[in-house]
Amino acid sequence: MARESRPPDATPTRRASSAEPLASITRRSIFQTPGNQTPGVPRLQGLSASGRKIAPPTATPHARAAFRTIDSRRAAILTPHRARRKSLREVRDSPRDFLLSLGRVLARNTEVITTSSSSSPGGEAGRGPGSDGAGNDTTLSTVNVGDDDDDEELPKRPRLSLPIDEEDDDDSDDLQPHRSVVFDENDNFTMQSIEMPRRAYSEQPGGRLSMGSVRMSDYFNTNDMLHSEDVGVDSGFFPPTAVLDEGNITMGVQDLSSPERLDSDLVRRGLGRESDFGIEIPVGEINESTFMIAPQVEDSPDRPSPGDAEPVYDDYAPLVDQRSDDFDDAELGEVPALEEEPMIDPTAALDEQTELESALAKRAAVRELGKKPIKVSKYGIEYPSLPPAVVKRLAQNFAKASGAKGKITADAMKAIMQASDWFFEQLGDDLQAYAKHAGRKTIDESDVLTLMKRQRQINPNTTPFALAQRHLPRELLQELRMPPPVVPKKRRKGKGEGDDEIT
Amino acid sequence: MPGQKLYPRATVKKIVKAHSNCNVSKNADVMMFLDYMLFLQNLIKEATIEAKQGGERGITARSVRKVTADSLAKFRG
Repeated sequence: MARESRPPDATPTRRASSAEPLASITRRSIFQTPGNQTPGVPRLQGLSASGRKIAPPTATPHARAAFRTIDSRRAAILTPHRARRKSLREVRDSPRDFLLSLGRVLARNTEVITTSSSSSPGGEAGRGPGSDGAGNDTTLSTVNVGDDDDDEELPKRPRLSLPIDEEDDDDSDDLQPHRSVVFDENDNFTMQSIEMPRRAYSEQPGGRLSMGSVRMSDYFNTNDMLHSEDVGVDSGFFPPTAVLDEGNITMGVQDLSSPERLDSDLVRRGLGRESDFGIEIPVGEINESTFMIAPQVEDSPDRPSPGDAEPVYDDYAPLVDQRSDDFDDAELGEVPALEEEPMIDPTAALDEQTELESALAKRAAVRELGKKPIKVSKYGIEYPSLPPAVVKRLAQNFAKASGAKGKITADAMKAIMQASDWFFEQLGDDLQAYAKHAGRKTIDESDVLTLMKRQRQINPNTTPFALAQRHLPRELLQELRMPPPVVPKKRRKGKGEGDDEIT
Repeated sequence: MPGQKLYPRATVKKIVKAHSNCNVSKNADVMMFLDYMLFLQNLIKEATIEAKQGGERGITARSVRKVTADSLAKFRG
């Protein structure tokens, strides 16, 4: 029996099993209730709810776990309202729910618990019936201990069946997250103080940073320059908390790291699994973001920022800039940056300024000549564009192939050149991202293959080799020594297996 | 076309290198250009369709501009 094998393994695969009860509840209600009344349980031992064979008792833990997941998948497919349950599952995974469950464990005497347990007479297992931990416990206890548990189970059973009586199983599941959500809204403080800053950091550094810089100017007009860096970081943190507990603003700012925040960090590390990923990374980045902030601060006068803040920045800017000499100056590279740089960092900026000036001058000169404009990428590197003759030839070929006359007007040619410039810019961006992600400074063939795969140019039916053969002349083909067919094949196999298992 | 080289390899390398601020390995530019050809093919095809729908004959700048965004989005990695 699948559930019999659970107890020893249950702890390692807790998450999977916590997601399971949704599916297993209905199964139990169908198959197990008779089993509890009569000793008919053994009859079911060989087969699971879906009727397939169960892992033999000698199976390894992994094998049993695999069997269990397969079972649960089947059950999920066979059960109605699957989509609704899926959505519920997602809701459950949110870090908020981990906090909730923790709250239930830590403080048993709160009102919510009493209300939830009030529906059931069960004393010790009186926690919320639908909470993940409790749900698991019920399933475990029902299965593990055969006859003795019947006494305990009877009180638990009505709890599950109460919602069933009302409408259906699903609705009991539906109700619970609603209640938790409501509960959260009451407890706005914890929720927002934890979630908002992290998310903002990881997702939208720009807006948040600018907010942080504004804070900095508000609070630290009189502070030392030395502390400005640290403060800049924390001020990015504080706005949300400051909004929440307005009295503590000054406290938190002075301490630079408020005890509350640290505590919450620890708690979260102890608790969530998935959520840790989302949260810990930004926490790690905070230190790096100190350097990210510096250029931002120096940029900010550029943007429409509150007028009061500007003079303060001017004071700060030199120090900050010396600490982090960035590419950002080069990135700014265009005309507006030039106006700012002299007042920011005289020495470093001068060189760049001269460079840029020369580049601009060149560009202007070339433009005056009316020939190919020299384009500069965002990294300040000049690059040519493809020779129009090549592009035109290709375009004509393709046009003929797609049924038009092979004639392309000069205007259209200009548009095509523009498009291809954009394409290469995008290509460079993407390839850079891939290479950096792989920890390389060099763009590899594998990066391009990954890119083409993501562009859906390469799929199991279209190998890169076939594409190359179709489009490239033989000399270039020889340059490409390609191992690639291995990769898509493996993928296909994996997918095929997965499909077989599911259906 | 035969006897004539398909594209200037060094140029493609330079372009990508400038945009990515990364080095480009020895033969990666071939695949890049292959990708570019696919992009161009897609662009021209769409532009042709667009032009036909708009009642123009042949590919015009308007039709190309109209489909550029879509094609670029399609080739976003």
